[in-house]
Amino acid sequence: MVLIALNNIYKIYNVGGEEVRALDGINLEIKENEYLAIMGPSGSGKSTLMNMIGCLDTPSSGVYQFEGEMVQEMDDDQLASIRNRKIGFVFQTFNLLPKATAQHNVEIPLIYGNIRKNERIKMASKALIDVGLADRMHHKPNELSGGQRQRVAIARALVNSPSIILADEPTGNLDSKSGHEIMGILDQLHQRGNTIILVTHEDNIAQHAHRVIRLFDGKITEDSKVKSE
Amino acid sequence: MILLFIENLFISLSSVFANKTRSILTALGIIIGVVSVTMMGTLISGLDKTFENSMSWLGKDILYVSRYEWFGDMEWWEVRNRPRIRPEYVDKIKVRSKYALAVAPVMQRGASLSYGEKETRTEIFGTNEDYMETITTNIVQGRFFSKNEDRSGSRVTVIGDGIKEAFFGDQDPIGKYIKIDNIKFRVIGVLEKQGKFLGLFSVDKQAILPIGAYNRIFSKRGWMRLSIKIPENKIEEGLDEISSVMRHIRGLKPNQKNDFAINQTKAFEKNYNTLKLAIGGTGTFITLLSLIVGGIGVMNIMFVSVKERTREIGVRKAIGATKGMILGQFLMEAVLICLIAGLIGLLISYIFSILLNKIFPSTMDIWLATFSILMSIVVGVVSGLIPSYRAANLDPIDSLRYE
Ligand SMILES: Nc1ncnc2c1ncn2[C@@H]1O[C@H](COP(=O)(O)OP(=O)(O)OP(=O)(O)O)[C@@H](O)[C@H]1O
Ligand SMILES: [Mg+2]
Repeated sequence: MVLIALNNIYKIYNVGGEEVRALDGINLEIKENEYLAIMGPSGSGKSTLMNMIGCLDTPSSGVYQFEGEMVQEMDDDQLASIRNRKIGFVFQTFNLLPKATAQHNVEIPLIYGNIRKNERIKMASKALIDVGLADRMHHKPNELSGGQRQRVAIARALVNSPSIILADEPTGNLDSKSGHEIMGILDQLHQRGNTIILVTHEDNIAQHAHRVIRLFDGKITEDSKVKSE
Repeated sequence: MILLFIENLFISLSSVFANKTRSILTALGIIIGVVSVTMMGTLISGLDKTFENSMSWLGKDILYVSRYEWFGDMEWWEVRNRPRIRPEYVDKIKVRSKYALAVAPVMQRGASLSYGEKETRTEIFGTNEDYMETITTNIVQGRFFSKNEDRSGSRVTVIGDGIKEAFFGDQDPIGKYIKIDNIKFRVIGVLEKQGKFLGLFSVDKQAILPIGAYNRIFSKRGWMRLSIKIPENKIEEGLDEISSVMRHIRGLKPNQKNDFAINQTKAFEKNYNTLKLAIGGTGTFITLLSLIVGGIGVMNIMFVSVKERTREIGVRKAIGATKGMILGQFLMEAVLICLIAGLIGLLISYIFSILLNKIFPSTMDIWLATFSILMSIVVGVVSGLIPSYRAANLDPIDSLRYE
């Protein structure tokens, strides 16, 4: 089943009278349970594409269908609801709330999803156990290592059992050992049926994916299956 | 929704407490505003009570004739040049006036009272048998003196409750002799306890003597005033009549101004209302000013808070917060700051009002307290609205990029 269908998507910024085409006519289909890596040089539009897919950004033109529905026609609250239920974000810089414990950070999407407290605690604990942080639930971000923080972020992304995990350079701020651990978790999530889309610079990270697309100046220059499903 | 409310409450609480000093300083204006509005109310209601009490001692149906106006703006020498009020006016007024129900001359001076070893300084009053009708206080023991006792210069006295307490305690004072400036007087009555007039001086330490004896023993000089009782429903007519009787007594020509004053409790009321208006006006002004300053402070700090947490807002939006949820979060924070400030203000006022209560009756009104808290909440909402709206409408991508 096609989860994401981008049709002739443009994202054009106007900087000082000059046109910057962050996305320049993107056509892309992503099916359920794909494991996709987006590569490309800096400034090629990878993050812009990710944000587009994650319903954080809206295209200047083109059609985006998410699970068959037109994203352009949704209002802010509907988009927020999709982000909450269907999409889990993992950022390069973790983006945890510094004053909240790991447990609470993971609970936040559930709070916005209006899930009762008991249920919430259970779900958050389970997500943290899944990423191997059973013994760090009540630590605050500054009491955790980078790799552990990223695992909290992943727990936060998967706690609402979303179908899609979007990870923008999830290992970019980590050493290679932590990076590998994070990739291990993403591999597992993929095996459990999630769709994984990640941005990376590194070939060995991209090798975890089953499909790699390359961007250059906002255009897809290469779309290759690395492994067969 | 309740879930989110509680969550927002926790976020706001932790944010406010993480920046305690900043929050308190910001909210200083609100604290001052709440203190000033509640203190103003407390002050006015306290004054009202005191004033009402005190005014009930002066009858509404009494005219006070004397040389000077209570709240006049005449020069002292002008007043001094007016002729004295003379004892014979009493009978003249009684004859000529149809409204005067009672006319009492009153003279007053300081004197030293003693009973055995005990001694005290106090005010003594010389008056006639009509006096009791011109005051609202009652005799609680014994009786007042009669016309005969006045005319014959009998050395009898009616004492205030304060003197009775000081000299006799639980003993019966009736028939006992006390000395007024070393002259013996027989106590024949005791006045009801009254308290302090306008919270200033006690009227319970006094002794009342027949004016006959007063004049004979103490000087005939000194200022005399007349207390004239008139029917309650004929105040205006009574005032006109007494005025023309006095003019006649004084032999004034139509073009001459009055050389006497007729005072009424109304004069107090008018002045009191002016005072109340002044307190109310000043209080309202201070309140509004400090609320505006406080509101701007809170607005400012909320802008700072939104800016500091731009990235957090981006993250929250990315994981599914709607605009409304972000708006609620920051609005809650602004309201919380103001609410805490309001409560602090209320506490300060409460302490003040307890201290003030030692001077005159003043209790903080529960409605006023509620009002001031509501007022703080309103200021919180108003000053938090624009920053919160800005936070809610931040672009999630820009916010996530924000350094
Ligand atoms: N808000 C914006 N205003 C103007 N130009 C923008 C804006 N956001 C992105 N761009 C431009 O769009 C292009 C794509 O940016 P994007 O962040 O997607 O690159 P990227 O591939 O993620 O780069 P990197 O690997 O460095 O993260 C860049 O040229 C960038 O300058
Ligand atoms: Mg990027």
